[in-house]
Amino acid sequence: MSNPYKGLKEIFIDSVNKNNYVELESATFNYSLLESSLKKPLKMILLFGKPGTGKSMLLNKLYHNLKEHSEIHFFDAPILSEKAFLRQIYESMSGQEIPENLRVNFDGLLKYCQNLKDKREVVFLLDECQLYSEALMEKIRLLSDTRVVKFVITLHKTEDEDIIAKEHFKTRIWEVIEMQNADEYDLELYIQKKMIKKGYIEISNTIKKRDMRYIHNFTQGNFRETNKYLYTIFDIYEYYIENEPKKIAKGKFSKKILEMAAIRLGYINA
Amino acid sequence: MHEIIELEKRWYRYKLKKFLNKAMIFLSVALAIFLIYYFVFNKNANDEDSVKSYIANMFNFSKSTMKEKKEVEEVVIQKSEESNKSIEIAQTTPHTDVALMPIIPVIDMAKEERIKQTRKPRVKRTKPAVRKHHPKLVKAKPNSSLTAKELSTISKVKPVTQATKVEPHVTKKINFQTTTINYIETMKKKFIKSKNPRDAILISKALYKKRNYAKAEAWALTANKLSKNLEESWLLFAKSKAKQGKKQEAINILASYYQKSKSAKAKGLIEQIKRGNF
Repeated sequence: MSNPYKGLKEIFIDSVNKNNYVELESATFNYSLLESSLKKPLKMILLFGKPGTGKSMLLNKLYHNLKEHSEIHFFDAPILSEKAFLRQIYESMSGQEIPENLRVNFDGLLKYCQNLKDKREVVFLLDECQLYSEALMEKIRLLSDTRVVKFVITLHKTEDEDIIAKEHFKTRIWEVIEMQNADEYDLELYIQKKMIKKGYIEISNTIKKRDMRYIHNFTQGNFRETNKYLYTIFDIYEYYIENEPKKIAKGKFSKKILEMAAIRLGYINA
Repeated sequence: MHEIIELEKRWYRYKLKKFLNKAMIFLSVALAIFLIYYFVFNKNANDEDSVKSYIANMFNFSKSTMKEKKEVEEVVIQKSEESNKSIEIAQTTPHTDVALMPIIPVIDMAKEERIKQTRKPRVKRTKPAVRKHHPKLVKAKPNSSLTAKELSTISKVKPVTQATKVEPHVTKKINFQTTTINYIETMKKKFIKSKNPRDAILISKALYKKRNYAKAEAWALTANKLSKNLEESWLLFAKSKAKQGKKQEAINILASYYQKSKSAKAKGLIEQIKRGNF
C-alpha cells in the first residue's frame, strides 16, 4: 500500500499555477472587482496586500481568463533592468523580436503608443512592483498616460512603509484593491478544496474545526504560510506512516504532528 | 529520519514544559485562593492586624516540629517550678509569644492521652449559695481537685465541717477570704507536682477573680501551652487581656480560636468585647 501523504504534501508546494487556484468567496469578490476595473478608463490599477495573500495567484487567474479575447500580458517576475523592460513592452505590443544589439528608445516607445490611441488597448500585469526603481515606475506612469497601455501592478503592503503614499502613485487615476489574509472559514475552505480537488477526501474529513483553528492561529490566514505548514505536517505524516505507523492514530488528525510541524517551522519555541 | 526523531524529542520537551507551566499556574491560583480565603475571613472579623499575625503564626508553626514542642513544654514546667518568681518576671516582661501560642491549633494526641490516664476523677463543684444552706457540700467548695489532706492544710482555722455549728453567713465569709490565698498557693504546689493544665486554669480563674489579670493571663497561657483544646484557657487568656485594656489583642485571639473551634462562647465573648459590655 502506497503512502498517500507523499502525494498529498506535493499539492501544498507553493507555486503560482492556475490549476492551484482555489475559488474562495473573498478571492472571487476581488477577482470580479479587478475584472470590472479593467473595463473602466483607468490608467493603473493597484493590487496590494501582505505577502501570501494571493495577489500573484489572482493576476495569474486574470491573465489566463482574459488572454483569449484581450491584449493582455503578464510579467510574473519583475524585470529590473530598464532596457530589458522597455524591450519586453515593445516586443509584447508589436509582436516583433528586437535583435540583441539594438535597444528600445523610451521616447520612441511613447510615440509608438500615442499613435495607437483609440485603436488598441493593451493590459500589462506586473507582479512584485515594489522591486522596480522609481525611475522605471515613472516611465510606467508616462506610458499609462497615453491611455493605450493599462497597468495592473501588485505591491507588498509593508508595516513601516506606506507605498500607496509614494509620489508617483499619488496623481494617477487608478483603482486600489486590497488583498487580505483569509479568515478561519476561508482557510478551511481553501485547505479542504485543495485536498478534495486532488482526491484526498478521507484525509480531508479527519481535519476538524479545532485543527483548522490551530492552523489559522499560526498562519494568520496567510496562504503561503498555510501551504508551508501543511506541507510540513504531511511530510511528518509520511515519515510516521512509513516508519512508525503505531504512533499515529487512524482516522484522526494528529495533534502531535500539528505541534511537531509548528516546532519545526518555529511557530512554537520548544 | 534523524531529523524527525530529533523533532519528536523536542516535542516531548515542549509538552513537559507546557505541563510544568500549567502546574505552576494551578498552584499559584490555589495559593491565591487560599490567601484570599483567609483575607476574607479575617476581614469578616473586622481585624486587619489579625491577618498578618495569623499568617505569621501559620508560617512559624510550619517551621516548628513536634520535638520543639516538647522542648517548649519542658521549659514551661521548669518555669512553673519557679512559679512565684517566674510569674513576677512574666508580669514585668512583655509576652512576645503570648499572642502566638494560643492560636496554634495543634493537639498533641499522645500528651492528651497521657493526661487522660493520669487525670483524677472530677469532683462535682457546688455553687457558694448552695453551700450556705447545705453545709455538707461546703467541703468541696475550695477546690474540686484537692484531697482531704490538702484541704486540712489550707485553713489554719477550724475545718469547714466544724463551721457548720457557727452562724453560716459569718464563718463562710472569713473562710472564703483565708482559703482563697492559701488556695492559690496550694494549687501552685499541686501544679508543680501534677503539671495538670486544669490546675493552671483553676489558678488562673482564682487570680482573675482577685482581679490580678496579668497573673491570670500568665497562668491561662501556661494551661494553654500544656493543652491547646481547653476552651477555658483561651477564654481566660482573652478575658485577662481585655481586662488589661488589650481589647483588640483579645479579639484577635478569640477570632483565631473561633475559627478553629466554632465555639459559641468565644463568639459571644467577641461580641461582648466589641460592644464594650465586657
